[in-house]
Amino acid sequence: MIPQYDVALADFADGLAAWRIWGRLGWQEIRRRYRRTTIGPFWTSLSLGIFIVVLGFVWANLWNQEPKKYLPFLCAGMLAWNLMQTIINEACIVFIGGESFIKQMPFPYSMLCWSVVWRNLVVFGHNLLIFICVAFYANVPFTTASLLVIPGLAFMIVNGVWIATLLGLICSRYRDVQQVVASLLQIAMFVTPIFFSREQLGRRLGLLTDFNALYHFVEVVRAPLLGQAPAIWSWFILLCVTITGWTATLLIYSRFRRRVPYWL
Amino acid sequence: MASIVVEDITVDFPIYGSQKSFRKALFSRAVGGFIRRDGPHQNRIAVRALENVSLKLGHGDRLGLLGHNGAGKSTLLRVLAGVYVPTSGRVLIDGRVSPLFNTSPGLDPDDTGYENIVTCGMFLGMTRDEIIRKSSEIAEFSELGDYINLPVRTYSTGMVTRLGFAIATAIDPEIVLLDEGLAAGDARFAERAKQRADALIDRSSILVIASHSEALIRLWCNRALLLDGGQVVMAGGVDEVIDAYSRSSAR
Repeated sequence: MIPQYDVALADFADGLAAWRIWGRLGWQEIRRRYRRTTIGPFWTSLSLGIFIVVLGFVWANLWNQEPKKYLPFLCAGMLAWNLMQTIINEACIVFIGGESFIKQMPFPYSMLCWSVVWRNLVVFGHNLLIFICVAFYANVPFTTASLLVIPGLAFMIVNGVWIATLLGLICSRYRDVQQVVASLLQIAMFVTPIFFSREQLGRRLGLLTDFNALYHFVEVVRAPLLGQAPAIWSWFILLCVTITGWTATLLIYSRFRRRVPYWL
Repeated sequence: MASIVVEDITVDFPIYGSQKSFRKALFSRAVGGFIRRDGPHQNRIAVRALENVSLKLGHGDRLGLLGHNGAGKSTLLRVLAGVYVPTSGRVLIDGRVSPLFNTSPGLDPDDTGYENIVTCGMFLGMTRDEIIRKSSEIAEFSELGDYINLPVRTYSTGMVTRLGFAIATAIDPEIVLLDEGLAAGDARFAERAKQRADALIDRSSILVIASHSEALIRLWCNRALLLDGGQVVMAGGVDEVIDAYSRSSAR
């Protein structure tokens, strides 16, 4: 396959420029999921909230921790993890789900990827309400470091788009990958420090965090929410992930973009 | 000025995940396209949907695509729409293409008619102002009345068809690609749909339509192309190609 870098780059640029369309598609998708329910997307927040509060108190007890310290930690971590996990899982079906569009007319497919990231960000916004409640209960300080949540989320967004494109591409050709990704993420949730802190892992298992990109994605959102600045190492790892991810995606997408309609 | 140039295109559809026995079954059977082995070890299966097709269209051309089921008409339309990039050969298209295939992109049964007009319209490349300007006309043509503010799932089949057709034909196109079956409905609607399609075609620079209906092609087209098994059998005037098509059907 001859790479068409200009086509791939134009796809991302035009896709982003079509924000009116993906904004609407993402919004409609959320409304569709919760149609005719009274509290809408807050259902996700409610179930996540109950999960966090119940688990938070039980496990704080189990590990002899102060609930006022453990609960905000668990909550912020779960929100960040949830955002990342749903983006990755929905990334696998982004093109498969968009088949009716893709087979109808040419358009920048990345539009569908922007839409996935956008609608998960909206859900995250709803879930943030849980954290606000928890933060009030536990007196989590609001500091200048809290503002770092903005670049943290920016990293999630920028990386979410390439992840959606790359996984969407691979999964439309190899349908097993979706299942593999879902299973791996399930395991990763228990290995990545979300339910427990990095320090509890000890030095030997520290590798599970230091080179675990998922951990750093969680960390750059979680730490600012808790009023702390994430470590420089986290930003560095994410910068590397962003550069490598986008490069790999452009290389692959420029070769196989045109095959997507054939694979669906 | 709109133009379409297609140079010697071939389209192969890969088939993945077919079981061994299924593959054998496929080989022993003849369908529309040619099923062939492909790849370095002859281990991939592909259906050849189009082979060495060339054509050239300019302003004012109205091309009718004729052929039996599986001849490659819809695939050719989708290549012209830019959906499929051909396996080999070149396609050069100048002008805004409006593909009017069977489904309306993004039509959501849970949304109201009005919301669907906005979503589909945006996807078809209309600006928000354009949609708002045209929405009352769309609503009027589809005869939805107050239903326009109700979810589409409450509509009758005919109403959905009318709505989809009205949205799709509200655009100001340069190149119109029509797959037959877009305008189905009761007799009265068929007559109104024809008028609206006439107006759309008049506004357009180039029309390509795939149809089994000789009457429709005689009515709308000034050129025709006969496809069989993915290859061009004949290209030329409407009457001669239709004659060839009828002869091949009679055989």
